[in-house]
Amino acid sequence: MTERPGPVVIDVAVEPESIDLVQNAFEAWWTSLGDDSLETRFSFETAIVEIAANVVEHSRRSEADRGRRFTLELSATDDRLRAVFHDNGMPSEIDLSAVSMADLEDEDGRGLALALLSLESLDYRHEDGRNVWTLVCRR
Amino acid sequence: MMTVTVEAVEGGCVLSPQGRLTVVSTPQLRDEVAARLAAGDRLIIVDLSGTTFVDSSGLGALVSCLKSARQAGGDLRLVAPTEQVSMVLRLTNLDRILKPRASVAAALDD
Repeated sequence: MTERPGPVVIDVAVEPESIDLVQNAFEAWWTSLGDDSLETRFSFETAIVEIAANVVEHSRRSEADRGRRFTLELSATDDRLRAVFHDNGMPSEIDLSAVSMADLEDEDGRGLALALLSLESLDYRHEDGRNVWTLVCRR
Repeated sequence: MMTVTVEAVEGGCVLSPQGRLTVVSTPQLRDEVAARLAAGDRLIIVDLSGTTFVDSSGLGALVSCLKSARQAGGDLRLVAPTEQVSMVLRLTNLDRILKPRASVAAALDD
């Protein structure tokens, strides 16, 4: 077993600008891992940004949602990378088994499909009043 | 944070987004392309060599800008995508309609 950094947790407001903060935190965490596989990095980073964007889009539907926050926990084992998002927004009605890639001319509808293609597994559940997204990537 | 530099070329322009092209920064690219088309440019070259990351909203903006350019009788061509950008173009099959060129010179030659 090699030495590795412990989990990193960030807690940010549900707003588009937070996606940059998530990505900054991911970059710092990735650097601390000392993993030089760009393919793994870009796959995991792409999926994390897509899910963060999804959380922001779906957890802020009205003025009543102002002040909401979400968290992201990043952790690594020798053979897997894991990211877990928690937010207390409205439950999502997404059916991940029904997600497919948008047509070439479409201007949206690629986010979740891209996340699914970039990961080993993607799981969504609504638990104890919170949305929980779990992303796992093989390394 | 993203900045877009603009350089005029014959018949059009080269737009170079520097940094991340994500949901926060895509309006900037869309606005720039719309302004260049309104100013009469027909060939929009997007130099991605300084674009470190593109997400699905960035891809959507590129598709939208491609359609706008073609509707105006022009074209939009991508140049020199970095590794992450090449990956998402491939995964989404968008490299079929947004086939990247190796250089600005190659995009001008087509």
